[in-house]
Amino acid sequence: MKTTLEMINRMQGDGVIGKYAIGGAVGATFYLEPSATVDVDIFAMLPKAGSSSLLSLAPIYEYLKAHGCDADGEHVVIGEWPVQFMAPSDVLEREALAEATETEIEGVKTWVMTAEHLVAIAIRTGRPKDHARILQFLEQDAVDTEKLNRVLAGHGLIAKWQQFKKKYRADTND
Amino acid sequence: MTRQERRKRLAGLSFSEKVKILEKLRRRSLAIAASGLRRKSAGGVRNADQDSRPA
Repeated sequence: MKTTLEMINRMQGDGVIGKYAIGGAVGATFYLEPSATVDVDIFAMLPKAGSSSLLSLAPIYEYLKAHGCDADGEHVVIGEWPVQFMAPSDVLEREALAEATETEIEGVKTWVMTAEHLVAIAIRTGRPKDHARILQFLEQDAVDTEKLNRVLAGHGLIAKWQQFKKKYRADTND
Repeated sequence: MTRQERRKRLAGLSFSEKVKILEKLRRRSLAIAASGLRRKSAGGVRNADQDSRPA
């Protein structure tokens, strides 16, 4: 992971990406016990190309290919890890990126989405594995409930949150 | 140590230590997938790649 993050930071330093943050299962591991995952999700701001308003991941793939990394489907393998790069697609993801927490892995600086944003994105995505991860956050008291409620309300996710609680947490007072 | 205590202890490790565990888990998942054990245990009914892709 150290090699992976060093390359991503180098890419950031070279201006290929702007601010980035780790999301997904690796991001969740910052707050929870480790659980197996096969890839790393990186949300990154991308500079706009010229006068176009379209964002493209192509510069990332070109940069990494030029630095000896191989593409593998939707991933690029950097060091040992397949990495999936995503541009924030909406206000929630842009906010998650802006408010990401700075940390270090083996002495390498990096950023991780807050627990509350990881939960909000998981609620919105709504796959069974997202629900399982939310339950982990709740069981381990890894979220600030007030902050989570603010994030959920700010992004129109209260109804989905209520559905989730009704389905999985009917016996609690969360 | 109960399961809950073990989970709490693991959650309390540094991010670097947790990432090292993630790397071990990933290598183990890949080794199991490569060995075909998942395919055998699933009776060949389900896709082995899907079985080996944890959440």
